Amino acid sequence: MESVAHSIGLSAVMIWTLVKVLVVFGFVMSIGSLWTWVERRGSAMLQDRIGPNRALLFGRWQLLGLPQLVADGIKFFFKEDQVPPHATKRLYWIAPMLAFVPALIGFAVIPFGRSFTYQGALYHLSILEPGNGMGMLYPLAIGAVAVYGILVAAWSSNNKWAILGGMRASAQMVSYEISMGLAVLAIFMRVGGYDPGEIIREQVTTGWFFWRQPFGFLVFFICMFAETNRLPFDFAEGESEIVAGFHTEFGSMKFALLALSEYAHMITASALLATMYFGGWAVPFMPVAPVLLTILFFLIKLLFFMWIFVWVRWTLPRFRYDQLMFMGWKVLLPISMANLILNAWLMARGH
Amino acid sequence: MFLLFALITIIGALAMFQQKNVIVAGLCLVLTFFGVAGLFLMLSNPVAAALQIIVYSGAIMVLVLFTIMLLNSHEEEPALQPRPFQRWTGALLLAVFGAFALRLVAGSKALVDLNKAAQPVGGMNLARVGEEIFRNYLLGFEVIGLLLLAAMVGAVALTKKEL
Repeated sequence: MESVAHSIGLSAVMIWTLVKVLVVFGFVMSIGSLWTWVERRGSAMLQDRIGPNRALLFGRWQLLGLPQLVADGIKFFFKEDQVPPHATKRLYWIAPMLAFVPALIGFAVIPFGRSFTYQGALYHLSILEPGNGMGMLYPLAIGAVAVYGILVAAWSSNNKWAILGGMRASAQMVSYEISMGLAVLAIFMRVGGYDPGEIIREQVTTGWFFWRQPFGFLVFFICMFAETNRLPFDFAEGESEIVAGFHTEFGSMKFALLALSEYAHMITASALLATMYFGGWAVPFMPVAPVLLTILFFLIKLLFFMWIFVWVRWTLPRFRYDQLMFMGWKVLLPISMANLILNAWLMARGH
Repeated sequence: MFLLFALITIIGALAMFQQKNVIVAGLCLVLTFFGVAGLFLMLSNPVAAALQIIVYSGAIMVLVLFTIMLLNSHEEEPALQPRPFQRWTGALLLAVFGAFALRLVAGSKALVDLNKAAQPVGGMNLARVGEEIFRNYLLGFEVIGLLLLAAMVGAVALTKKEL
């Protein structure tokens, strides 16, 4: 690898980072778009329908409706790119990017496999090297910024439904961030560190946090639905009340970016759930597993949570807005505070 | 890199003052926060950078923008009459403040230390922040906690019509 790297004038570390970036972004983008298909087929399955089945590849192969993805993509690219006359032009252009970029880069810190040594050099399977000092604060920070995409999209459309949707979404995300942060703090405390690598190693030695902090998991799990704006918390949209909410005025590829960013957020949320409560790449009953097996297990956990997101969306009805606020401030916040104090007490007793 | 982040910070701040539209001004302020977070990263203090983004851009500015949207006045109101006296007093105070800030920075111990042989600075992490707070600044930490609690109770008392 070293010689190949030198022949094109780059160091091995740079090539390794470049490969990781390409693989991870490619993975997030392709799973994200694939999941629009899973969502449609899965919802059809849950509701006893057939789902997308008209798009055929070369007029012949149906492939369980997968060609629908290609058809959608082509349609989005070739649709007329309209900007409504009453929109704030510059913000209207930036908004889909503001939504999409945080959704993509949130994944960067999460290790998707065991670190391994090859020819004496240590390679880590995460874009940001462990020990960078940001650790798990990084996805939290990126998640906190994600709300701007929705807010800017809503406001720049200059449409009252859009603004209502954007405001509801931002209030919701800010309220649930606190419970989420407290649930994560309990894990930091238990681990004595906040690097995802440390969190996973701790879980390998002492068991998954899903068993050790069930209340923390419950709070974090619910907050993830609120942070990704998925049903039962999809207050940014809500067809019966505010049309399509913040992306009412967006068409063609801009809409596609906004929709894809939701799925990219789901991927990051699932990865966070897997990393913090289900041992990340840890393979059950195998403290030292081969690298490829750890990647496979991380993928299995990730896709499992992705499916849960779809499953919940098509199973539960949505909350009312006051129920959402009640749940966030009067149920989840006390639970996560109690969880934090309980863990602190248990740790103090253990000393 | 330093220049890039410094430019982002300054341009964001200047654009915020230039903007007539309150929402866009808020977004420019967010840009400034990102620049400051980048500067914190350059100072090998990723914790401060992360907290800057989580707290300031992620929570405070979102709430401010939320309130602005709720109030439904997106344009800055023009002044009824020019107020030259206030304007000049403002400029004067700013100059005085800037002069004192410059003097403080120029006379600070860290700047003098900078001329000596560079010693390796350990990156900040959460554990060190916690140690500092609970070992050296415990009183300040507790007082701030109490102050925030009082502010919260006050806010609830003000907004809640019947308690």
